[in-house]
Amino acid sequence: MIRSMKGLVKALALGLAAACSLAAISSANAEELSLKGKRIGVSAIGTDHYWDLMAFKGIQDRVKELGGEVIALDAGRKDQQQIAQLQTLIAQKPDAIIEQLGNLEVLNPWLQKIRDAGIPLFTVDTATPHAINNTTSNNYNIGAEIALQMVADMGGKGNVLVFNGFYSVPVCKIRYDQLKYVLTSFPDVKIVEPELRDVIPNTVQSAYSNVTDMLTKSPEKGSIGAVWACWDVPQIGATQAVEAAGRTEVKTYGIDGSPEVIKMVMDPKSSAGAVAAQQPYEIGKTSVDNAAKYLAGQKVPPFTFVPSVLINKENAAEKGKPFLDAAEKAGVK
Amino acid sequence: MSASVLHTEVGVSDEKQAVAKSAGRRFGALVVRLGAIAAFAAIMAYFVIFAPGFTSTFNLINVVEQSAILGVLAYGMTAVIIGGGSDVTEGGIDLSIAANMGLCAAVYATLLSMGYGDFLSVLAAIAVGMAVGALNALAVVGFGILPLLATLAVLNVAAGMELTLTQNTVVGASSPLLGVLVSGSFLGISALAWALIVFSAIMIVVVHGTSFGLRLYAVGGHPEAARAAGISVPFYVSFTYVLSGFCAAVASILTVSRLSASTPGSGELLLSVLAAALLGTVFSRRFVPTMGGTLLSVLFIGLLANGFQLLNVSSYWVNGVQGALILLVVAITSFARGSEGSR
Repeated sequence: MIRSMKGLVKALALGLAAACSLAAISSANAEELSLKGKRIGVSAIGTDHYWDLMAFKGIQDRVKELGGEVIALDAGRKDQQQIAQLQTLIAQKPDAIIEQLGNLEVLNPWLQKIRDAGIPLFTVDTATPHAINNTTSNNYNIGAEIALQMVADMGGKGNVLVFNGFYSVPVCKIRYDQLKYVLTSFPDVKIVEPELRDVIPNTVQSAYSNVTDMLTKSPEKGSIGAVWACWDVPQIGATQAVEAAGRTEVKTYGIDGSPEVIKMVMDPKSSAGAVAAQQPYEIGKTSVDNAAKYLAGQKVPPFTFVPSVLINKENAAEKGKPFLDAAEKAGVK
Repeated sequence: MSASVLHTEVGVSDEKQAVAKSAGRRFGALVVRLGAIAAFAAIMAYFVIFAPGFTSTFNLINVVEQSAILGVLAYGMTAVIIGGGSDVTEGGIDLSIAANMGLCAAVYATLLSMGYGDFLSVLAAIAVGMAVGALNALAVVGFGILPLLATLAVLNVAAGMELTLTQNTVVGASSPLLGVLVSGSFLGISALAWALIVFSAIMIVVVHGTSFGLRLYAVGGHPEAARAAGISVPFYVSFTYVLSGFCAAVASILTVSRLSASTPGSGELLLSVLAAALLGTVFSRRFVPTMGGTLLSVLFIGLLANGFQLLNVSSYWVNGVQGALILLVVAITSFARGSEGSR
């Protein structure tokens, strides 16, 4: 416990230092790092979401940039397929494996097998004891920040519709737990029970109809103050539903920073209140750098945080643009 | 084999002229069928030569293991197609089989997580699977609804029940039985691979080695003739749907062991199950589904994904190739059936 606290403090300090000298370090390391002659296996549960696709692309681009060969596997959101791909991947004996998201309960025994086979394992946005390094955003911060923004916009009281369909996904668990923790200080903000379930696929449509139903159930204006989701695809459906119902007093909150949602937050008339924008492409690239460092015999911390930015109604015009530019540059819509 | 003899005897009563006319098409179908098998063989040969590590024992056992769940489901589907006739629109088909597996897995994992033992949980999963099968049987045999529509409706029932039970979440599960399935092995072959081997042996013997299996083919091939011969057609057809439900339950236990949980999205397997059952028909001379043919095509589908990965070809191609093969086989089958239809 104490050790992990120490580790956290150390990592936060490291992250701060790294952020300060980010430009200097990355240009210096880029020349040293190499994956020449190395094969890197990459397994992603799916790439149907902006975040997933950007991270998956960042990993592949970086491996190629460093001269390595990449075995890229997209499980198409099917657990069975991801397990089969990992099993075959272990037999292929790559120099390292980078795993991106998925159901931890399903994955953990197989991640263990990767380590048992002596293959270094790195993860993207997936906290597991089996990984040498997990590269991700600081989801503790993100979760607290978006929750505080929501509470502030609500004036410290009101009812919140919460999508909680992916508590088994580690980052969603952290963000949801942070939301709950923040709300302990604001007893007048209440989560409407039962919570809503976001789903994959048909996330937007399903969120739209869920929120529409709830608004119909609570027809008085002001009876619902906000909608929260641990990612931003349900936020799209929720925002559309709120606007269609003419209940613009309800604001929506989400995490990830898909270009579509950033544009919504930038639009002063939209009900999208805020979104915590991550840098998935950078996260993917950074995880490859960590793998390259490890393979070169350097020490690698157990986790690396890539900075994220809270985009709200006040700062959207200024802060949103760089993210939209990055998306355009990577050629991902 | 014996079934095809019976089928031929039925054919003998046809007019000679039509027989002569269909002989040409039958020859054509034979050529196309051998062509399809040659294509399968060519793909395999390519993998053997170019895919690194493809032929290693370790890799092949991996593929058998990866094929176990699909295989068990495909046997259920094959039985339904044999008993209901292989006409794609009006014959036997069980669209609910993958969703049924999802429901059984949810029941199994939920009961385990509530603290019930393996015995009760397995029993409950099998009961649920067979009950869903019985519902299909009731709709198809009792109400006379087209299997395509009846099982589509039951698919939704099963998927809805699974969602209600799990709230679309992952339900983790562990038990002694799952432990054995995950890490047990015998003669260097893992438990999951053994499950497929044993299940295959049973299905092949029952369907192709007993008079029960022969009557099943008679029911599917020519229900009127079967009825005239004193075979209870409704019983046999109903039996295939319940068997299919049983297969879904068995597959659900394998899937929970492999994923250490019941997870949403089992329904996605349906396309592969259908592909396996339909592709299997090219391995039979008369384009009828056989258990052996299904086994071969299940392994083929597994080897296809495996070989592509070893060659570092994008996994996106697997779906495309699988779809193309289904189209090819369905085309061949309709072509061959065209010759029978013209009699």
